[in-house]
Amino acid sequence: MLKVVGMENKDKSNMGRDVIFRIKRFDGEKSYWSDFVVPAQKGMTVLEGLYYIKGTYDGSLSFRASCRMGICGSCAMKINDKPRLACETQILQLNSSKIKIEPLDNFRVLKDLITDFEGFFAKHEAVKPYLIRKDDNYAEPVELIQKPEELHAYYDFTLCIKCGACFSVCPAAATRDDYLGPAAMAAAYRFNIDTRDEGRDERMFMVCSDVGVWRCHFAAECSEVCPKNIEPAKAIQKLRFQAAVHMIKKALKRW
Amino acid sequence: MRIRNDILIVGAGIAGMRAAIAAAEVSRELSIAILAKTYPIRCHSVCAEGGTAAVMREGDSFDLHAWDTIKGSDFLADQDAVEFFVREMPKEILRLDNWGCPWSRTEDGKIAQRPFGGHSFNRTVFAADRTGFHEVHTLYERMISYPNIVRFDEYFMTSLIIENDEVKGITAIDLRSGEIVLFEAKAVIMATGGAGRLFGFTTYSHQVTGDGLAVAYRAGVPLKDMEFFQFHPTGLIPSGILMTEACRGEGGYLKNKDGQRFMERYAPEKMELAPRDVVSRSMWTEIIEGRGFDSPYGPYIALDLTHLGEDRINERLPMIRDAAIKFAGVDPVEEPIPVRPVAHYTMGGIHANMYCETPIRGLYAAGEAACVSVHGANRLGSNSTAECLVFGRVAGERAAEYAMNKSYYPCTKAIEEEEKRIASLFKEKGDESAYQIKAKLNQTMDKNLWIFRDENGLIEAVKKIKELKERFKNVSITDKSKSFNTDLIFTIEVGYMLDLAEIVAIGALNRRESRGAHYRIDYPKRDDVNWLKHTLAYYTKDGPRFDYIPVTITKWEPVERRY
Amino acid sequence: MDLLKWFEVRGKSLFYISYSLHRITGLILVLYLVMHLSYLTSLRFGEEIYESFIATTVTPTFLIFDILLVLVGVYHGVNGLRLILHEFGLAYDVRRPILYLSYFLVLVLWLYASYKLYVFIVGV
Repeated sequence: MLKVVGMENKDKSNMGRDVIFRIKRFDGEKSYWSDFVVPAQKGMTVLEGLYYIKGTYDGSLSFRASCRMGICGSCAMKINDKPRLACETQILQLNSSKIKIEPLDNFRVLKDLITDFEGFFAKHEAVKPYLIRKDDNYAEPVELIQKPEELHAYYDFTLCIKCGACFSVCPAAATRDDYLGPAAMAAAYRFNIDTRDEGRDERMFMVCSDVGVWRCHFAAECSEVCPKNIEPAKAIQKLRFQAAVHMIKKALKRW
Repeated sequence: MRIRNDILIVGAGIAGMRAAIAAAEVSRELSIAILAKTYPIRCHSVCAEGGTAAVMREGDSFDLHAWDTIKGSDFLADQDAVEFFVREMPKEILRLDNWGCPWSRTEDGKIAQRPFGGHSFNRTVFAADRTGFHEVHTLYERMISYPNIVRFDEYFMTSLIIENDEVKGITAIDLRSGEIVLFEAKAVIMATGGAGRLFGFTTYSHQVTGDGLAVAYRAGVPLKDMEFFQFHPTGLIPSGILMTEACRGEGGYLKNKDGQRFMERYAPEKMELAPRDVVSRSMWTEIIEGRGFDSPYGPYIALDLTHLGEDRINERLPMIRDAAIKFAGVDPVEEPIPVRPVAHYTMGGIHANMYCETPIRGLYAAGEAACVSVHGANRLGSNSTAECLVFGRVAGERAAEYAMNKSYYPCTKAIEEEEKRIASLFKEKGDESAYQIKAKLNQTMDKNLWIFRDENGLIEAVKKIKELKERFKNVSITDKSKSFNTDLIFTIEVGYMLDLAEIVAIGALNRRESRGAHYRIDYPKRDDVNWLKHTLAYYTKDGPRFDYIPVTITKWEPVERRY
Repeated sequence: MDLLKWFEVRGKSLFYISYSLHRITGLILVLYLVMHLSYLTSLRFGEEIYESFIATTVTPTFLIFDILLVLVGVYHGVNGLRLILHEFGLAYDVRRPILYLSYFLVLVLWLYASYKLYVFIVGV
């Protein structure tokens, strides 16, 4: 388990208690629940608890995790019915003696807490989430000017860590497998309003479809659970307006 | 199953993805595979915070950046590589700008730069305090736009195949199915990152276990300068999460128990912005001499940002504020942050020249996994993301040229051999736990291979590591399943780390001098007469065999390093 | 097609619950519409049948169903207006006050309409 320099001399008196981790497991064929007792300390995160269980009780407990500082997006899982990043969730702050841990909804479970993210990343790729410019000069690039206000307009939407929490609570994603999802559409919006981008029309093809922006009916749960407070619901509604304008313009052009 | 590509890139961090893009730009006909044990945007590069250094404005010069880097490296850097590196950097910043990276801007819309430790000009380009995160996502988003780059996500490399001094490919476990796959390629680029999880108190992600380094070492590729590990001054306690150097760059102070800005005594000119090894040693000295604060998580030094004001912190250091609140319960606007020096960067790596070529034909190395060496004995802040971009590009271009001029020749290795080797890890009727061995390894490294090293401590470390390697032979794996066997992966990673720890410990024991980040209490002076040379470690079954090669000096003779 | 997700509200916010209720009320209204049309077109079977339908259903015993129906309709209408506003990209930042305001409006309109119904059917 993680041994931190100096952890030896910590004072246990009123800094911790035992908490039960109730984890939903899956071995490829059937799912079942496992209970483990974790001696939680003040400041100990759910992820540290999971590593503790893996090192002490059951090495077969499988989960994705990497940075432990909330920036890589690997460890999103349902903790007490709400999707959170395990590395950012403090055990004692959950205020319950039993912590229920399950894999994210709306994703196919591969093993224990590991889910299938292939579709999620494919949807992100489908909206062309990259800067599209006519003067794409690889050999001799030129500095692009962007005022601080212009940067602030889209900056928050660049913070998406692709954790999948938004997608897991979206009811539209639950009822239809090919719905693009909040993360992909927030990414599309982020590029549409980046002043350096010239590719809005190209991007709108995927977005203005029935698996795109029109499938959202503002349950807005995505904004509630986003660990980076990005507000994907806001991006989608703004993107809706852009999509409507785009479709009207296209119709008029044809006419 | 065998999969064949022209170029195989192992590791999908900044260096790996930049190499893929560079190779794809050379030719759209090449088939380029990029393989990593996690999805590309989960790589450790996303944790980089402070910035990327580049010479971009009036008043700065390539020679100045080179001099800063070479002096920072305590003159162990190869100067021709450094001169090449600084000249290639500015274009990378502009390319990232054109690919959508949200660089922070000045009032008139130009790319902003901030001061950083060891640099004599404010040349660190940044994107808030999440520069690595933004660079990774920008590179990923650009990379997916090339049709000839194929991704192999969640494949864990188990061996490197070299035949007749030429690279043939790698074997890897497909985590999803548990099958071993043989990846054949004309050129292979190793961009697998460093080995920070050797230590217990470290800024590194859980996945940084030195896989590429160990696998290359076992295949006969020499590793260079492994005894040099950088200890970053400001790691949050107790997690080890990085508090970027930009905190000090934006004006933060380091204070001891008496409220003193103690850096005045150690580096009066640069103060908190002296190079990292100088600051870490100063902080550790303060702690050893009893002037650190006490806490249930051990002693610490205060990183004081309170005088910067809420606006500046929210603008320039938003993630630091968020992390300090979430992981230490401290708001930097109101209170100083508790920090301690933390293991942060692997200066050493696979022996490569400034064209990313290794002694094996067709094998290239880039990024932290490579040791060119640009950073020598100590790396300056904001030079690592820069190195990954420049040498990622170079490796991609070189590998592409090599692959285009080479005809394919199949490798003779059979997958069954590798399958048998991995299966044999299961049959051990052992009683050792890989988790406990890793914990003991971390303890040993934290104690004996930390900032201040001495002969006895190093000898003890070597002995302990050899013991752990023996114990490792009896390790047992609980999980017997095929799909996503994280238990098996963890065990193999511990094996890699034990091999690397041995090299670090013996290399440190041999090097009887202090240079950059490697400081010996019993040999506190830099010894240019005997030790101005790089350490090379070669694999033998009884442990590493050491050799030494000279440092390339072009313009700058070593002088005393004072800040 | 995981429609059961509409009912998994543990750990979800009021926004999600509003979404679920909007769908359920929508379904109810569609079913009611079909019923109502077939009920009204019973006139084609003759005036007596139509009159007997009216006599059975426009009575104090059926009042409770009418009041519930009004709740369903008012909810769907007011919530629908809220959704139209937001889906034009407007007023997202004040979405929480608007949510609470819409529930308040639903309550007020429903109580008023129920009172009017009661008076019409039962008398003062």
